Amino acid sequence: MNKNRRRTTNSLEVNVVARVIIGAFLVGMAALFFVYLKNQQHAVGNQARVTEAALREAQAKNEGLKARITAMTSRGALQRRLDEGYIKLDTIRDTAIARITPAVTAEEDGVLRTASRDPASRFGPGAPQRTINR
Amino acid sequence: MKGIGGRIGFVCALMVLIFTGFAWRLINLQVLQHDYFSLKAAEKHSIRLAIPARRGRILDRNGEELAVNIPVRTVTADGTHIHDAAALAAVAAPFLEMTVPELTQKLSTKRPYVVIRKTVSEENAQAMIRAMEKAGLRGLYLEEDAVRSYPNGEMLCHVLGFVDHTGRGIDGIEKMLDEELGGQEGFRMIEHDRKGREIVVYRGQEQLPEQGADIRLSIDMGLQAIVEKEVEATYKELHPVGATAILADPITGEILAMACRPNFDPNHFNQAKPEQLRNRAITDMYEPGSTFKIVVATAALNEGIVDEKSRIYCENGSFSYGGKVLKDHHGNGDLSVSEILMKSSNIGSAKMALRMHDNSYYDYVRRYGFGEKTGVPLHGEISGLVNPPHRWDMLTKTRMAMGQSVAVTPIQMVMAMSTVANGGKLMKPRLVLSKGEGNGQQEVVPVREVVSAKTAGFVAAALQRVVSDQGTAPLARVEGYAVAGKTGTAQKISPRGGYLDGRYIVSFAGFLPADKPKLTGLVIVDDAPIGSSANYGGLVAAPVFSKIASRAVRYLDLQPESAVVMAQSGNASTAGAGTH
Repeated sequence: MNKNRRRTTNSLEVNVVARVIIGAFLVGMAALFFVYLKNQQHAVGNQARVTEAALREAQAKNEGLKARITAMTSRGALQRRLDEGYIKLDTIRDTAIARITPAVTAEEDGVLRTASRDPASRFGPGAPQRTINR
Repeated sequence: MKGIGGRIGFVCALMVLIFTGFAWRLINLQVLQHDYFSLKAAEKHSIRLAIPARRGRILDRNGEELAVNIPVRTVTADGTHIHDAAALAAVAAPFLEMTVPELTQKLSTKRPYVVIRKTVSEENAQAMIRAMEKAGLRGLYLEEDAVRSYPNGEMLCHVLGFVDHTGRGIDGIEKMLDEELGGQEGFRMIEHDRKGREIVVYRGQEQLPEQGADIRLSIDMGLQAIVEKEVEATYKELHPVGATAILADPITGEILAMACRPNFDPNHFNQAKPEQLRNRAITDMYEPGSTFKIVVATAALNEGIVDEKSRIYCENGSFSYGGKVLKDHHGNGDLSVSEILMKSSNIGSAKMALRMHDNSYYDYVRRYGFGEKTGVPLHGEISGLVNPPHRWDMLTKTRMAMGQSVAVTPIQMVMAMSTVANGGKLMKPRLVLSKGEGNGQQEVVPVREVVSAKTAGFVAAALQRVVSDQGTAPLARVEGYAVAGKTGTAQKISPRGGYLDGRYIVSFAGFLPADKPKLTGLVIVDDAPIGSSANYGGLVAAPVFSKIASRAVRYLDLQPESAVVMAQSGNASTAGAGTH
């Protein structure tokens, strides 16, 4: 009876053990990979958060600087500078102005444009013939 | 043996029951009440992070920025994260422009949300956060915010208006187009860790903000600066109760400049007095005086009651009608319609009105837009006052002809003068050219045709004579350009009835170049304390118009018309004489 029991219990299925070990290893690796990916996801998310914050900060700084530029170059500010004598306006006499387009009249749409803002005053193939009055 | 089997069966059944209970509870939690508990969990960990929308800018017609946003931060505290309020205050106070004890007191709280300071600059806020990180402290957080800034200060203040501390438009364009400017706030559902930092992986539903639209006005800041300077100079020199000037494009009805005094700085609107906040161009009505004579002249001509050659006897300056005597400044005999306008004859105008049927005359007054709002997109516009014929007494029609018994707003008067300038079409005043990038310019559509082009042309030619040496406003002339216009000198109405002695609202409304008008202008000076002998539209308002127009035509680079001017100027040395 004892002899028979020993004979039956000593048998070891190596293939089965190997399969179990490999299976367990694969499952373990998959779990570790999952954890790794999850960590990566959090790390990337954290980087995204920091980048977004930096971007917001840069945008805000940009907006702030633009607002300061606008304030410093506004008509009110320039007028103040003019009054203080910091900048000076020189009168240009009519006779000293070389017109590159005829004096502007209202466009078809009724909009008045100064010479400098008239797109037709730009040199180019589409520009009208230019006259110079002195 | 049977007893043991029974006990085993009982224990097994008990175990089955217990685990069935557990399983049921599990299904109940995970399946049946899934939504409820998910929500509970989300409430615990998720927060709705508001993403503010950027308020749109306000630009002039050439893209010059008139209202912009300055990004700032609101600093808040989470009392549950603060372990050492004094240490945190010592680090943060210098960046918040607060004293350490003051900040310590504010930070000594267990409340999870306390606003510590608003409008902290971006630089200071970021520097504070870095200093806190360096010191290993937490508990103060930043929220995005912005303050509205008007870089030109007082210039164009009544048109732009201002916003309150929450960013809501309170006056002017800021109020009227608040919805378009404000945009739509967005949000993001986020989860945060115990340090309050967002866990990006668990970011939930998100809706991006809809940024506010940029508003492009018809205002030309080049012209506005000219108008502001001249109105300011007049206000400082004459010390009137108020002064108003408007420039408009008579063809399109676009408002190119609008200035009133007294005014205010929208960056510090809370320091302004109520009278400074009032946009007199739309909220004040006044008796227009003789500028209103264009209405009766065009109406009578258009109806064929009179024609270009008709002559009206002006009673040598004294006309008794309805038990009252109506007087002219100078006695005149027979005058043509053109001469009536040139000499600003009250009697001639009254007689033209008397020849018209009441309803017909009233209809013309209304067709010019008097007695109704123009629809300019500004807050607080009033409709003026035009009584219907059934409320007139015997004198009303003669008084209305010379701009009494009727009250108009400056914007109405400008559009009426533009009607004469553009050939008889009443235009709706346009102040907004476009909203947002994709919204192009709208088509210009007249409100109605008030008088024929022929009638308007004839009156426009007559109004050129007003600016001649024989007219009432030679001081309105602009060298090199033909000007047409009309003066107005009206006594101020007493709140107790009747008129106030020696107190006048004087005005000049005109356009140029007279043949091809590009600009309509109106200058009103309200109750300047300069004495009755000098307080006339031709002496006070006309020179201001001239200064504005002279600089405006140069700015717009309009070609001078020397020949026309020679005819209008005549004897320049007599300019200033015979004004009315």
